[in-house]
Amino acid sequence: MTILLQGFEGPLFDWSWVRSHLTSEIIPALVGHVYLSFVSVAIALVISLPTGVLVARYRKAYAPVTLVTGVLYTIPSLALFAILVVVPGVGVGPKAVIIALVAYSLLVLIRNVVAGIDSVPPETIDAARGMGLTEGQILLKVELPLALPVIIAGIRIATVTVIGIATIGAYIAGGGLGALIFDGIDRSFPTMVITGAILATALAVATDLLLLGIEHYFRPWARAAGRRG
Amino acid sequence: MIEFREVSKLYPGSRSAAVKDLSFEVPDGEICVLVGPSGCGKTTSMRMINRLIEPSSGEILIDGEPNTSMSGTELRRKIGYAIQQIGLFPHRTIAGNIATVPQLLGWSKERIRKRVDELLEMVGLDPGDYRDRYPSELSGGQQQRVGVARAMAADPPIMLMDEPFGTVDPITRERLQDEFLKIQQEIRKTIVFVTHDIDEAIKMGDRIAIMEQGGVLAQYDTPENILTSPASDFVASFVGEDRILKRLSLSRVSEMELESAEGAGKDLPRIKGDPTVRDALSQLVGAGVEAAVVERAGERKLLTLRAIEETLGNRRGRT
Amino acid sequence: MMGGLFRVFGRPEFPGAVARHVELSAAALLVAVAISVPLALLVNRSPLASLIAVNIGNIGRAVPSLALLALAMPFLGFGFAPSLVALAALGIPPILINAATGLREVSREVVDAARGMGLSNLQILTHIQLPLAAPVIFAGIRTSAVQIVASATLATFIGGGGLGDIIVEGFQLSSTPVLLAGAFTVAALAIVTEVVFGALERVFTPEGLKVAKRRQAKR
Repeated sequence: MTILLQGFEGPLFDWSWVRSHLTSEIIPALVGHVYLSFVSVAIALVISLPTGVLVARYRKAYAPVTLVTGVLYTIPSLALFAILVVVPGVGVGPKAVIIALVAYSLLVLIRNVVAGIDSVPPETIDAARGMGLTEGQILLKVELPLALPVIIAGIRIATVTVIGIATIGAYIAGGGLGALIFDGIDRSFPTMVITGAILATALAVATDLLLLGIEHYFRPWARAAGRRG
Repeated sequence: MIEFREVSKLYPGSRSAAVKDLSFEVPDGEICVLVGPSGCGKTTSMRMINRLIEPSSGEILIDGEPNTSMSGTELRRKIGYAIQQIGLFPHRTIAGNIATVPQLLGWSKERIRKRVDELLEMVGLDPGDYRDRYPSELSGGQQQRVGVARAMAADPPIMLMDEPFGTVDPITRERLQDEFLKIQQEIRKTIVFVTHDIDEAIKMGDRIAIMEQGGVLAQYDTPENILTSPASDFVASFVGEDRILKRLSLSRVSEMELESAEGAGKDLPRIKGDPTVRDALSQLVGAGVEAAVVERAGERKLLTLRAIEETLGNRRGRT
Repeated sequence: MMGGLFRVFGRPEFPGAVARHVELSAAALLVAVAISVPLALLVNRSPLASLIAVNIGNIGRAVPSLALLALAMPFLGFGFAPSLVALAALGIPPILINAATGLREVSREVVDAARGMGLSNLQILTHIQLPLAAPVIFAGIRTSAVQIVASATLATFIGGGGLGDIIVEGFQLSSTPVLLAGAFTVAALAIVTEVVFGALERVFTPEGLKVAKRRQAKR
């Protein structure tokens, strides 16, 4: 395949480079990327579950929290990195990236935890209370299970978003597949760029489909349980 | 006049016909009710009149002309159409909804405005109050009335109604049915009405077409004839075990020939108003008596179980 | 500190970067709308095509923005054009998904009533389906717009210009004022986009639907 604009030497995609650098650069980048992404989402999930439940309970907090999270989510990631990097104690490196990743995930997850809990029909909770369940039991046995599909949807969106942002994080020395992209651009070496970009895309899409499958698995059950008798 | 001539509808890939060799005529100014269990093809048949569905074979004639003699769109603007879920346009006001077909036909704004007000009055909604409201602000019963008004907007000679009173509670439904029958007395449109409820069919229909599974016409006749002489076991069971009583609901006490009550017991209960014969029978049985007194034009008449039985006998027309 | 920020705003290349950023985003959004909306109208004819379009759109949403921009580079080189192509591609999924779903979800009874009353297919589309689907479509356009404005920051890496240039300069010079000037400006731009398109969404929502929503909220 011919290259439309000049600037590069050699073929568009050099398979030999891929083969020779598979274990030294490509796989570590991939693994690092996966690790970065999933760890950030996990941390965010742990924080967002109780926070989301609290916000769902205390409606007064709902509007301000939604507003703030909505605004923060709009900030472009490179801009957020720029802001984080100047904060003393953070600087360039994986720390800033993880903070940003956790922050974006939190925004998505809190919103979905609240939405999930809101989606539980009040009649169901009323019935549970009438049956004698304590508030804690209602939360654990009724609300969270019924909110599960929406929460999983949140996990899916957060993870896919995070995988995307982590690629940008490579610019501030965060590692991951973005490093292949940035190095490739610096060196005018399209093979690296394409490898990094395609792997990042594949990772994102595969994760999306996988979590979508899990979401669907839980949804028919949730629908059956939530349906009025 | 609407005429079905050997109309059939077979969906590709389906083993049995949705409608099979349907033939009948609906005279002008009458309500013909298509009734039957689910899957009998009643809605399909109705929708073939305004060509929302096209027949596989046979033809439908309106006033002697095949309904294919003009485009589907043109045809539908001449036929009123009211469906069960109503389908009001949520983004338009009530007036805007009713004005839809008149606007398509190019009526002047003034004429449309007058017509909208006229129709709202006819269906029992105050125009000043309702014309600028939106569908979501109305109750189910009110929306149903608007649906009927919308179908009548361009004053079409023919109307198709598919369970138009289906989604409201029984009390509202009864009221809507009564009001519609009153309107029909004045406007005398040719109406094809679909329902799954045999009681509604008997109440609303000048003629009833009972259809069974597979789109077959089981019987097409007046309600009285169907109740008196069901054409098959299917019709008899569809109409219900209580068809004798149903016949009694077709007429009123005031239509009966009664003997004078003079000389009869003074302690007999009185029947007030002019109920259906069935309701009167219900009162007799409830009071545990065989006779009651009815006031008619100042005279006291005697309503007896015997008289009621004779009503049935008269109709049967045999010994 | 504030002085430092304002000095950056005063720099000659700054307004150019803002202008370029807006240019790129606006052009990409226009292209995305011009492709997605007709496409959605087209697939609306067939429920299967609609479903396929929505699914492809959903997969498209997962693609990382940087990856898309990066992939444009080997084939289209550096500069405005590859950035435009990549950003437009990025903007298509939200609009396509919302438009296809919005049109499909216009209640069947309403469309059936409209057909039964004698509206032609074109009239049903313009008088019934599009107005009723408009809020959802505009929500998709809003999402797309914000995403494009945010991702246009990355255009700097393939020579597309924009506010990303300022941020990258800030990193290269290790200059806090430059970093923050770039970051705050693009963040503000993104927020303004969100607000403006949110208002547009309200403008294009038919009154009847707003009334219906308000009543639902009350219950």
